[in-house]
Amino acid sequence: MIEFGILHLVMALLGVVIGIIFGSLPGMTATMAVAIFLPITYAYDLTTSLYLLLGLYVGGISGGLIPAILINIPGTPASITTGFDGHPMAKRGEAVRALRIGITSSFFGGIISLVVLALFTPVLAKLAIKFGAVEKFLIILFAMTVIASLSRGAMTKGVFAGFLGVFVSLMGIYNGNQTIRLLPEVFKTPLREGFQLLPVLIGLFAFAQMIETAEAGMKNSIFNKDLLAGEESRKFSFKDFKGNTINVFRSGMIGTFLGILPGVGGSAASLMSYSQCKSWSKNPDKLGTGEPEGLIASESANNGLTGGALVPLLSLGIPGDSTTAVLIGAFILQGIQVGPLFISKNPDIWYTILFALLLTNILMFVSMFYPVKFLANIIKLPYSKLYPAIIILCFVGAFSARSGNMVDVWTMLLFGFVGYIFNKIGLPMTTFLIGFILGRDLEKYFMDSLKGSAGELSVFFSRPIGNGIWVLIVIFLAYALYDNRKHNKQVKAAASKA
Amino acid sequence: MVGLLKISFKHSTSHEVFPRIILGILAIFLVILLAQAVIKAVQSKKPLIQVSGKHFFIDHYDKLKLFGTFVLLILYALAMPRIGFVISGIIFISLFHLLYAGRKDVKSIAFSIGLSVVETYAIWFVFGQLLEVTLP
Repeated sequence: MIEFGILHLVMALLGVVIGIIFGSLPGMTATMAVAIFLPITYAYDLTTSLYLLLGLYVGGISGGLIPAILINIPGTPASITTGFDGHPMAKRGEAVRALRIGITSSFFGGIISLVVLALFTPVLAKLAIKFGAVEKFLIILFAMTVIASLSRGAMTKGVFAGFLGVFVSLMGIYNGNQTIRLLPEVFKTPLREGFQLLPVLIGLFAFAQMIETAEAGMKNSIFNKDLLAGEESRKFSFKDFKGNTINVFRSGMIGTFLGILPGVGGSAASLMSYSQCKSWSKNPDKLGTGEPEGLIASESANNGLTGGALVPLLSLGIPGDSTTAVLIGAFILQGIQVGPLFISKNPDIWYTILFALLLTNILMFVSMFYPVKFLANIIKLPYSKLYPAIIILCFVGAFSARSGNMVDVWTMLLFGFVGYIFNKIGLPMTTFLIGFILGRDLEKYFMDSLKGSAGELSVFFSRPIGNGIWVLIVIFLAYALYDNRKHNKQVKAAASKA
Repeated sequence: MVGLLKISFKHSTSHEVFPRIILGILAIFLVILLAQAVIKAVQSKKPLIQVSGKHFFIDHYDKLKLFGTFVLLILYALAMPRIGFVISGIIFISLFHLLYAGRKDVKSIAFSIGLSVVETYAIWFVFGQLLEVTLP
């Protein structure tokens, strides 16, 4: 039932180790690692690829704690609050203890999210099987509302980027009547099928970041060796988690449920969990001065994200975050449809995913917990030596996406540039990407609904489950407007104080 | 009421329906974004478009590495299908190594070329031979 062998173990370990490296280097993320290594999966079947990709995902999210604790720069956005308490601990001679607390919390968070994934996905999928075109259209609309409602202070930009993604996805042939649209005459033949997902992904998540690193001069952050050199002032023990059971559980759950909401990244999970930890804490004033409590909250939450983000992917076909958006590419490449029927049609793959996630979490723990002093070396890997190798890997990946097509290489370069510009003008790439992935489906379900009703738009309000989704959309929009306003007020208040 | 909420379309033009709606939504949001920018400018009593003091690039950005990256990427993509994967890989990967390392002495040039030969052949072997992925 579960596919597992030596090759799978090797792939999972390889994924975890490479993931940790990507996660530990600020600017390089889990998403980037998965995008770069996706092409390798052409040569293997889906389950073997999933061991590698899930390893990259779990390792990539976990690795972020290393620079957060040692140099106070989060390695990935998901570990944004890890350094708040982790770095002060390191400075007073508890670097190893802080790293080990972070690693153990990551493991707990991962396992909590795995349990939720296993229990929740089949239920959601069962509900979604009843969905017709109208509900499917509305659920994608709902996903896009959630994205908008959580891009605090940048709601309009978030929605705009999302719809821009939808628009770009529509370029090329329309399957309804075989007409090529939205393209100038010269591009009609090469881009007949539109822009391909894989080169767009590599461009947005690898090249855009590389261009930014080049702009900053390809410099590494400076690491103070003394942090790990001297005698440890306090050693790690599992007793450090005493009194933190509720904290671990709460943070893991926050991470998992934020992961389930589409488009919400790890930074939101980490921030929300940390602020909840602060409001529940017995001594909130001490948080931020090097309390294990805060470190535990941040790290359990961001690994909780991993299982959570897979829930909507495997039950509805909607990615929960940017990494799972890339992961969808692996399923597409192997011709396997993710959506409500995924679990019932592919039970073996489903159980293998659960097992692979458990395995990668264990491997992550083992490969970080014991060689903890060695981990600091990863931060010193020079970008200037890594990026040239990454470039050639990306070129291979894009070129072989459709067995040898230069159009895809140019697409990758174009979207690398687009992603760089997006970052400069503050348009969120994740929203754009989710719009791009879901755009074609959004159109299909919209047109199918209209065909069924002879063009009557009232069809979108004619079904009970559909109306339930409308209620959710309105609630989220109302929350978004309220939250956006509150956020803007806070910013203004802070500005007038300063 | 019902008649007002109807979209009629023919099969031959059905490819235009959805893109038009999306374009409409994009236009609305563009207007909102502009309006927000104008309101912000009026409230803070600053001109709408302020060139000085605002920079597209980060402070002290590395001109050579940034624009070098653009130029090399484009040249690499042009060269790859023309001169083959291995040769283009060795040439451009060593150029990238040199550009990013920022040193021009003989030792680092030799090192860059050596490294790029190893990297290119390793990827050619793993992908092209072991995994049988199509390479130019």
